[in-house]
Amino acid sequence: MTDEPSPPEPYEGPLPAVTNLNRPHWEALREHRLVAPRCDHCARCWLPPGPWCPACWSRSFTWTELSGLGIVTSWVRFHQQYFRRGPFEIPYAVAEVTLAEGPRLYARPVDGAEPAVGQVVEICYEDVSAELTLARVRPASVA
Amino acid sequence: MTTGIGGRTAICGVGQSAYGRRLGRSGIDLGADAIGAALDDAGLGPGDLNGMVVSFGSPGGVDADALAFALGLDLRFYSQTWGHGRFTATCIQQAAMAVASGMADVVACLAAVSFSGVTRPGRVKGRKGSAVGGDRDHEGAREAGGGHGEDPVVGMTSPGVGAALAAQRYFARFGASSEQLAAVPVAFRKGAALNPAAIMRDPLTVQDHQSSRYVCEPLRLYDYCLVNDGAACVLVCSAERARDLAKPSVELAAMLPLPVSRREFIWAWPGLGVAQQEDGSWEPGRREAGLYADAGITRADIDAFFTYDAFSFVVWPALERWGFCPMGEAPAFTQDGRIELGGELPVNTHGGLLSEAHVMAWNHQVEIVRQLRGEAGQRQVAGAEHIQWGNVYGDSIIYRRAS
Repeated sequence: MTDEPSPPEPYEGPLPAVTNLNRPHWEALREHRLVAPRCDHCARCWLPPGPWCPACWSRSFTWTELSGLGIVTSWVRFHQQYFRRGPFEIPYAVAEVTLAEGPRLYARPVDGAEPAVGQVVEICYEDVSAELTLARVRPASVA
Repeated sequence: MTTGIGGRTAICGVGQSAYGRRLGRSGIDLGADAIGAALDDAGLGPGDLNGMVVSFGSPGGVDADALAFALGLDLRFYSQTWGHGRFTATCIQQAAMAVASGMADVVACLAAVSFSGVTRPGRVKGRKGSAVGGDRDHEGAREAGGGHGEDPVVGMTSPGVGAALAAQRYFARFGASSEQLAAVPVAFRKGAALNPAAIMRDPLTVQDHQSSRYVCEPLRLYDYCLVNDGAACVLVCSAERARDLAKPSVELAAMLPLPVSRREFIWAWPGLGVAQQEDGSWEPGRREAGLYADAGITRADIDAFFTYDAFSFVVWPALERWGFCPMGEAPAFTQDGRIELGGELPVNTHGGLLSEAHVMAWNHQVEIVRQLRGEAGQRQVAGAEHIQWGNVYGDSIIYRRAS
């Protein structure tokens, strides 16, 4: 998946609301990296990005690359066609992943992967357009 | 925690419009029905009304100022919250604070919702979905994601997604099932069957629930609330004023406001581990105990419990948050008729958002008041004296029949 060229059709899914707070996160996804702010005082990481550490209120943080490893702590599967089909043709699942470093994010399992609470997973990357890369999730490869 | 406002205010009138999926009537018209009925119920007129708090405004609901202009109201105090159903008690508490501080004397608290009655200009071609999910999900457009877990860029949309996430986590953690969950909508439908105003009155069985389609798995069709037109209104005034009026007054004996922190997720108690919540255990503590102490009672004195049942699942953590059963035991607690009329703790006797109607739970406040006045007809909880409005997201009001 990570080596495929961008698809030629215009992307039909919703676009992210990119702001000065979260832009580094979205730009890193384009580079197939997962980054989050990490507090310089208490070392906690958080997602979505925010202006100061939500745990200790330190104003000082550093964008840090995460391992991409995590555990599925919940998941849902949509059976109602809320969106134009595009990338979200039902049924499709979305996993809530608690990353090893602490933050959570939502990501769709790759095609064919069934989510389950407790699964160990890793983030992978899908270039859905020339401008947008989304995090996906797949079972972690075990060495 | 105590809040110092218990017993100082009361509900002196309640009213509602018709409820229906597509009434084809304007929201202002429905609002007038509810406000007018509440004033009639209290033996008051529009000239007696000098405050208003609306919980849900434009575009789906009618703004407070629009009502004041259309109905010729002269209000010293008005306020409005945004389009989240969680603010029902917040509105009542604001009204109570306005009355207690002397800012107003009689405050109408309400929502008037019409999805079908207004033709909206400029519908955008090519966008799918509605206000409750999809491209037009305005909550999903919020910076840093919606309050129910919406994250449309990865396909997460609609308030139900948050309830589904919480339910899935709860099922995994406590070994609960969709089949157990069916007991909640089945119970509420029994109340709706006794309620002439309810939209869904046909009997509902566990098998009906289990064979219904998934909407956002693990939640099924009958786990989702209604979407409909309607308006409901309660009038808040001082406890002294209410005692002078026509109907038996129902006092706001105690209340706790709506908290927010990273421990909270709208459809879970702290510690379930959804969205930004930490994973851990939690149980009711001094904050919750203070509510009953303020009302001079214990939890055992609560004769019925009402909660914001946007999704059937949220009734479980609501019962647990308020200590009616230990964490993880609500699935068992809600079986065997325990939450039905005649059971140990009747819940949402009118059928709730699931079966009566979705009027932002203003319809629940109306039913609570009728129960405490002895006006609930076939749905009457015998001898009801204290009824609690309590939610999974942590706010509560204890209503008390004035002696």
